[in-house]
Amino acid sequence: MGRLMIVNGSPRAPQSNSKQYAALFRSFWRGEAYEYNVTQHSHAEAFARLENAEHLLLVFPLYADGVPAVLLDFLKALEASPLRSRPTVHVLINCGFLEPRQNGVAIDMVRLFCRQNGFPFGSSLSVGSGEAILKTPFRFLVRRGARKLARAMQASRNRDICVTMPLPAQTYVKASEKYWLAYGEKYGTTREQMDSMEIEKD
Amino acid sequence: MELLMTDRSIPELFTETEERRCIDLTEHSIKGCIGCFGCWVRTPGRCVLRDDAVNIYPLIARASRVLYVTRLCYGSYDVPMKTMLERAIPIQKAFIRLYQGETHHFQRAVQEKDAVIVAYGARSQEEQRVFERLVERNSRNMLFKTWRVRFADEADVDAAVREEVCAWDA
Repeated sequence: MGRLMIVNGSPRAPQSNSKQYAALFRSFWRGEAYEYNVTQHSHAEAFARLENAEHLLLVFPLYADGVPAVLLDFLKALEASPLRSRPTVHVLINCGFLEPRQNGVAIDMVRLFCRQNGFPFGSSLSVGSGEAILKTPFRFLVRRGARKLARAMQASRNRDICVTMPLPAQTYVKASEKYWLAYGEKYGTTREQMDSMEIEKD
Repeated sequence: MELLMTDRSIPELFTETEERRCIDLTEHSIKGCIGCFGCWVRTPGRCVLRDDAVNIYPLIARASRVLYVTRLCYGSYDVPMKTMLERAIPIQKAFIRLYQGETHHFQRAVQEKDAVIVAYGARSQEEQRVFERLVERNSRNMLFKTWRVRFADEADVDAAVREEVCAWDA
């Protein structure tokens, strides 16, 4: 057990899937936890709280195959801060692709940040199909993964956990099409419009 | 079309034309992506943030050759270049396809491209390896037909860029 800071590294933090992943994780965490969204841009205040934390959990989506720019900014500020403590850093990352391995480089970027700055790296939970999985019957798999992550962190056992929808890729492609069409429909956008090849046309 | 996009000012290397463009990110105002998916589901192909990025991602799409110049940060493009690349998602569609054995987004009218990245500021070989793996992953999502990373010391960046631009004419 121990004090935990959860940093939501999503550019849309208040409405993000990362917020839901963080909440799910928190339901399994036995101990104090403080949450901070990088979009609040009050990093100094967050670092002051981090001084007393034993664990730092970064929760974020994969952006352009890596760590979102807004979270890179946070890590750079953390590196430049006078923080004396070195909490163990963990990652909970999700991507919209079926394969959790697509998150691997982003996790290694955080590992590299840790090595460059003397933070211990702990565990990771890598979620594939992460845009939709929480709204499907496979949500239980994420719950299970979040529970494993929490237990690993509390037992100081470093683990790398992967979760995704157990579907053939073709089935996932069809399911994701349905998901995005329904998303577009909410704004009155048709399949043809979403499928447009045009870029920056009125 | 050829596109040079850089996160630091470099000496002028060519006269810009429709077919050869240079984007100095230090001269542009580019906000961070807000992850709203508007460019996929509300105004497909157009970002809802109307800043300088909307003039740049069409160039990225149109280019058949790109030369990106970036500082490294934890094995990633540093914030200015990464911010711009994240703002380029209007050139992709929401829909997913199988591509090279993995799920990836469909592209809109995006040219396959030869990509060279001049990367400076690496703190270690390990950082260089992480960055190469990033660019390898980018190649599938950014349609890099070929890609190469050229690591340079900060003092050698201008010379490296000049050599790469000269190679365009070879």
